[in-house]
Amino acid sequence: MANHSTSHPTHVHHHFVDSDQQFDTAKLGMWVFLVNEILFFGGLFCAYIIYRAWYPELFQMAALELNTFWGAVNTVVLIGSSLTVAMAIRSAQKDQMKGLKINLLITIGLALVFMVIKGFEYAHKFELGIFPGEYYTYEGIDHPQAAIFFSIYYMLTGVHAVHVLIGIGLIYWIYLRAKKGEFSSEYYTPVEITGLYWHLVDLIWIFLFPLLYLIE
Amino acid sequence: MSTHNHEHHISTAGQLWAVGTTLFILTIITVVVAKFVAIPPPFDVVTAISIALIKAFLVAAFFMNLYWDVKFNAMLLIMAVIFFLLMISITLLDTMYRNDVVPSF
Amino acid sequence: MLTAEVKPASTGTKRTLKVKRYKPSEDPKNTYLTDEKGLWAWMTTVDHKKIGLMYLGSVTFFFLVGGILALLLRTELLTPAKTFIEADTYNQFFTLHGAIMVFFVLIPSIPAALGNFVLPMQLGAKDVAFPRLNLASFYIYVIGAIFTFIALANNGLDTGWTFYTPYSTQSSSSVIWVTIGVFILGFSSILTGTNFIATIHKLRAPGITWGKLPLNLWALYATSIIQVLATPVLAITVLLLTMERALGIGIFDPALGGDPVLFQHFFWFYSHPAVYIMAVPAFGIISEVITTFSKKHIFGYWAIALSSLAIAFIGFLVWGHHMFTSGQSAVATTVFSFLTFLVGIPTGIKVLNWVATLYKGSIEMKTPMIYVFSFLFIFSIGGFTGIMLGTLSADIHLHDTYYVVAHFHYVMMGGTLISFLAGLHYWWPKMTGKMYNEFQAKVGAALIFIGFNTTFLPQFIMGSQGMPRRYYNYIDQFTIFHQTSTIGSYILGVGFLLIAYYLAKSLISGEKAGSNPWGSRGLEWQTTSPPDFHNFDHTPVVINGPYDYHRPMEEFQLGLANEDKDH
Repeated sequence: MANHSTSHPTHVHHHFVDSDQQFDTAKLGMWVFLVNEILFFGGLFCAYIIYRAWYPELFQMAALELNTFWGAVNTVVLIGSSLTVAMAIRSAQKDQMKGLKINLLITIGLALVFMVIKGFEYAHKFELGIFPGEYYTYEGIDHPQAAIFFSIYYMLTGVHAVHVLIGIGLIYWIYLRAKKGEFSSEYYTPVEITGLYWHLVDLIWIFLFPLLYLIE
Repeated sequence: MSTHNHEHHISTAGQLWAVGTTLFILTIITVVVAKFVAIPPPFDVVTAISIALIKAFLVAAFFMNLYWDVKFNAMLLIMAVIFFLLMISITLLDTMYRNDVVPSF
Repeated sequence: MLTAEVKPASTGTKRTLKVKRYKPSEDPKNTYLTDEKGLWAWMTTVDHKKIGLMYLGSVTFFFLVGGILALLLRTELLTPAKTFIEADTYNQFFTLHGAIMVFFVLIPSIPAALGNFVLPMQLGAKDVAFPRLNLASFYIYVIGAIFTFIALANNGLDTGWTFYTPYSTQSSSSVIWVTIGVFILGFSSILTGTNFIATIHKLRAPGITWGKLPLNLWALYATSIIQVLATPVLAITVLLLTMERALGIGIFDPALGGDPVLFQHFFWFYSHPAVYIMAVPAFGIISEVITTFSKKHIFGYWAIALSSLAIAFIGFLVWGHHMFTSGQSAVATTVFSFLTFLVGIPTGIKVLNWVATLYKGSIEMKTPMIYVFSFLFIFSIGGFTGIMLGTLSADIHLHDTYYVVAHFHYVMMGGTLISFLAGLHYWWPKMTGKMYNEFQAKVGAALIFIGFNTTFLPQFIMGSQGMPRRYYNYIDQFTIFHQTSTIGSYILGVGFLLIAYYLAKSLISGEKAGSNPWGSRGLEWQTTSPPDFHNFDHTPVVINGPYDYHRPMEEFQLGLANEDKDH
């Protein structure tokens, strides 16, 4: 009952005509998923915008507790990881398997650096008593809604951090598959679409950074 | 039959580094402007977001390859942004025009 | 050797393909049901048809649970005071009835159950774009359901299916289990939508241009767009609610400077488009059934196709009409009321076009067509009353009364569910290869129609006289309405039992269905019933529109002549 020719490369699934169709469809599918991610974070950004419009002085006071320098470092780290993942895709496109693996590992490394810096940031806040929601005990900001700013901060950066962790997992899985020799210039679709996801994580942070850290 | 035959665009390493470097520079600019240039609100936010939009455009166009991709994928991204803007603008129609900011009991 | 000039989906330039006619066998030896057997094969299948059937089974199960809850509610409302359950139990029952019906029945029913089965076949494809993702979507749905049932086993849920704050942040019921369940379930919806969009764009058979796409697929396409754009906002809303309960965040808590109306904004930003996730696929089915049983081309193809997209878009702009009495600003309420009037227009266009399709058609009153006529009557009432509720001044009086309850049951049950029944009866022979008893089916349809109107028509009257919704007790003047309504609900129950009975019986002893018992020109009917594992044993080539009833059947059964060269 098979009605496709036997000259199909093994990576092409049976319901696709050829490699190109499969690649384009995978990319389309991932872009649709990214639309969903944008709306997901969009809800949080919406809450941010509403509260900033209601309590602008709170946001100015509370933002002083955020360390602009380390936030900027994290921005550079994530942009760097976007660069290395783009280089990884380029390596795959040029059949440079060693380059692919190295770039994937560097990307993971940079992502871990991001998480470590974030970890220190959170730890420093916890020391001061800046916890989310009803556990907030910091006295240093003279505004009754101070806890709300930090709740929004923790939600935005926390959900973003979860996406970073998921990204690390995905890129590591791609690395393992690259080690097994699954990819080539003929087939690197999973690398491409994982790269797209990772770039989105970077994109979200590009907006998070000025909105949270650069309020003066 | 293959459905089409467009070549997958391969950026050179130089091109990718150029985009990356531009992004690093823009990051430095946005921090410097925020910290050392006094801009009255709301234009400080406008400036910061504008720089962020330029960075986002660079990432989307040259890292995510939308510049060389089928136009439909770029349209998806634009559509997502449009719906996000609709969500916040119509909600703000409520929250900015209330008599009491928060319903007090 | 036949040749066909087609304009393939991707390049847009005309090509000539060698085709021949592939008449489907009336007695298929190997079908998708016989090719994979056993429980493990079903549980690990990536075949869209089996996944569709698994959704169908799940949706039916949840409908049974939600339906029993409804009957219990209606029975309690037979008398103005307590009939047989406590007030707290009553609150739990209406909450669960709503949550189960919305999230586990209506949202997945047409797209995931029927859509999964039919969409690739209508495209001439072998499967959806991402078959493994499709199976994952199903399991995510199941896991979401499990979390909700854990909540049931704990303290239940009594907030109403809308989880409004501040009650939902303070209630001692198992809110977090349910919000986690809904969060997980949302991904099932998002991934199904992603799959459908990719499939419709990329996996069309040669010749299926956008102008030859069946209207059912335009509807599923519009629905998928809504699912992808709206469901993430629900996800973030329930996440925020969970965090508000777990960590006391306070953005919805007025005591901490938060805003409970903000929750309503976030919630309805999803939940209004959600009702279009329920309604728009229903419209798609109506287009298919009404053309088949009028043997006529649809009136206004592009009007119906584009109105699905218009509804999807405008549907995102009207959510505040659920919040007219919540303390929203006057500016916002006025804008939302105006936009709500707009959203009725594309739907009205559809209804008028469907009716025009009937004109000079060769009407066959088979069961699916009876459901279509029920739909036209019931959904129109639902739609009109929606406009009445969208009228700001009237809504101040009608908000949170039984008028609203009647309205949404008219559109969701009279709309989505009846269309689902139409689709189920229409595609049943294709899915199972069996015919059900036509007379019993017609009786079932009549019971549904009579039962439905008996249940919900009195609720409009009650509501306009002030009977509030979700109330456990009521004053004497409403007794006759409630009792009529309850009797109607029992008639509905009998109707559904009858449907379940003869459909089950058809599986055992039903007459064998041919490949195309209805004489439809649709592509899914040009293969065997039940279909092959790969849907078709050839690559279909489409030269006509799906409703070109003036063209002979042979022209709809073309496929590539030379398979090895041209895949």
